[in-house]
Amino acid sequence: MSIVALEGITQRFGDFVALDNVSLHVRKGDLHAVVGENGAGKTTLMRILYGALTPSEGRVIVQGQERHYRSSREAIADRIGMVSQHYAIIPELTCLQNLMLGAEPGAFMNLRQCEDRANVLAEQMGFTFDWHARAETLGPAGAQKLEILKLLWRDAEIMILDEPTAMLSPRDADALFESLRKLASQGATVILVTHRLPEVIEYCQRVTVLRGGKLIDDQDVQDLAKAQLAELIVGHALTAFEERELPQGETALNVQNLVVRGDRGNDAVKSASFQVRKGELVGLAGVDGNGQKELFHALMGTRGFTGLANLNGEDLSGRTTRDRLAAGVRIIAEDRHAEALVEEWSLSDNAVLGFQRLPSFRVGAGINEATKAERTRQFIAKFNTKCTSAGQAIGSLSGGNQQRFIAARALGENPSLVLAFQPARGLDIDATRAVYQGLRDACSQGAGALIVSFDLDELLEFCDRILVINGGVVSAPHQKERAEIGQLMVGAI
Amino acid sequence: MVDMSFITNWLMFAAILGLAALGGMFSERSGIVNIALEGMMLMSACVTALVGGTSGSPMIGLIAGLVSACLLGIAHWALTQFYRLDQIVSGMGINLFAYGATNFIALSFFKPEVPNQFLPIPVYFWCALIALAASWFMFNRMRAGLRLLAIGENPDKARTTGIEPVQVRLWALVFAGILCGLSGALVVTNSGGFGDNLTAGRGFIALAALILGGWRPVSVAVACLAFAAFEAAQIQFQGSPILGYQLPAAFWKSLPFLITLIALAGLMGRTKAPAGLGKM
Repeated sequence: MSIVALEGITQRFGDFVALDNVSLHVRKGDLHAVVGENGAGKTTLMRILYGALTPSEGRVIVQGQERHYRSSREAIADRIGMVSQHYAIIPELTCLQNLMLGAEPGAFMNLRQCEDRANVLAEQMGFTFDWHARAETLGPAGAQKLEILKLLWRDAEIMILDEPTAMLSPRDADALFESLRKLASQGATVILVTHRLPEVIEYCQRVTVLRGGKLIDDQDVQDLAKAQLAELIVGHALTAFEERELPQGETALNVQNLVVRGDRGNDAVKSASFQVRKGELVGLAGVDGNGQKELFHALMGTRGFTGLANLNGEDLSGRTTRDRLAAGVRIIAEDRHAEALVEEWSLSDNAVLGFQRLPSFRVGAGINEATKAERTRQFIAKFNTKCTSAGQAIGSLSGGNQQRFIAARALGENPSLVLAFQPARGLDIDATRAVYQGLRDACSQGAGALIVSFDLDELLEFCDRILVINGGVVSAPHQKERAEIGQLMVGAI
Repeated sequence: MVDMSFITNWLMFAAILGLAALGGMFSERSGIVNIALEGMMLMSACVTALVGGTSGSPMIGLIAGLVSACLLGIAHWALTQFYRLDQIVSGMGINLFAYGATNFIALSFFKPEVPNQFLPIPVYFWCALIALAASWFMFNRMRAGLRLLAIGENPDKARTTGIEPVQVRLWALVFAGILCGLSGALVVTNSGGFGDNLTAGRGFIALAALILGGWRPVSVAVACLAFAAFEAAQIQFQGSPILGYQLPAAFWKSLPFLITLIALAGLMGRTKAPAGLGKM
């Protein structure tokens, strides 16, 4: 019998139908994956189960009883817990305070008793915590563990995890799934929203596939292949991204002993040495916050560095960002809103950003309107940015569509080096492939690309070669092989 | 040189600053910037004197004073939380309102023939000590305190754990009102009667002590003791020559403010404000 049954759920927001007659049945003790592209309705469905949304139509049945949750509080009382994609941990409070927050044992708290219970829960999971340390000392993996303990503290038996591994290294992700298995074996039920298909195949018992708000499939994971699952998600056959010979072009970017100072006065990048050849897509694997951002800023000229960085034989040190743009350095920035776009501006005005001084865009002190209109059209067409017109404010587009436009812009005007920070962020499987294909095409015309992603599987699939950055140290694995890279990412080698 | 009057003055000023600063701490740790400490103190000083005198009961006078300060605190809460008014603007408005209103009340309702009735000063001293101990206990050992801290650091994340920030902040501002009310009542008790702008900027010195103390109860108390020492010294040394020079009274009067300025300029930035201060 299902411990959770959502039946015929329809959720409308105004005219928009986010979920259309979707059902979900979850067996007790399962790791149950809910997969689908961005906008498929996964998180909406989970929020309904968690009581954060009231469905327009349909029934929520928990432990055999029909429920009409008006708030998450009522779902929590039914032993449902949810860890959302953005952790709810408050860095300034201690681990213990975070654990208890919102579910304190009473008006007065006996800290020793609280700590004892916290230790019992942690031991049960094989975790250790310094309960009186501030939560800001936790890394992403520690924060994730604390979030899971928070669910146990609240006696949750049905646990909803939204993209739990998005910020974790492969090793931490594997450890997380071991913990989840343990929980499931102790009687908990885990519902997992994810877009990482290997996790589903390896760890989950059952999978529900959503596409465009509709239920596409619901089946046991056993004897389901990753390719099959990917096709269910996108709705058509996918051809594997073509493997190719390692390009052997000349060196585009040559970095030797590069040191970049971080915001806290530490060395964010420590004596990095590596090359990117022309034609090559080089993936930079690593957990967020290990120096990727600083490295990109140093190469773009928005942060100082010491050591050597040459692009096509020319020294970059002392060259301004303006010079580097003219030399063909392009960036897909980490923070779309802060670094890549002016949200209130139209697509066509945003199309000019970074190119305003290039001869092709300039007429005297002004902008060549004909080039601007032409390029805007090209950028929109390149990755199918959905918009009403080139004059539309770019801020009114969805995040995925903004990303398509930015990616297209970064590949425009003869790039010589493309620095791509999570180029596929917020993109569906088809668009992700299109962007990587675009990167490959740009590179085949003589550019090199350095690509940061926190999703190792993405890099393994699309990049020619992979480097690893951990604690500011860049290293090269012997082979393009998941296990070794995963260990390098956490400094285990 | 140091005599009993210095010690009593010191402790009294420390209690005035401490009560107000702890009141401000409840407000600011819940995420609401509160520059209205001064206004709440002034209102309470005025109402305490008026009601205490006319009713003949110092206790009723004090309670009326606390209620008036609480009402201003609730007004600050409503203006910032429901009407989304800028927290500095709202605080400034409350200060101006209190200044004008108390001036009006003093001119219209105080009768010279009615004698003032006040509770003895040590009552306030004990209140300050209890407030200090209670706020420490609350922040470290009580659910209410934990939730208050959480909201002040990150209201959005606190919300996801089922806490309703607006509700908690109402209580925080009621507490702020009570403590600032006590502080104002002590000011008027000490001076023996109400006069225009009686609190004379002490609410702002308390705010400075709150910032210097890093929004933590014990450190705030220490900062208040330090500032109060200069206030007491000001009274002690006013009129007596220093190394043969007769310094003008204005210098001594401005000393506490000068010290506050120097302390803030020199030490500010070493303490960390609640991360959610000023956020909805």
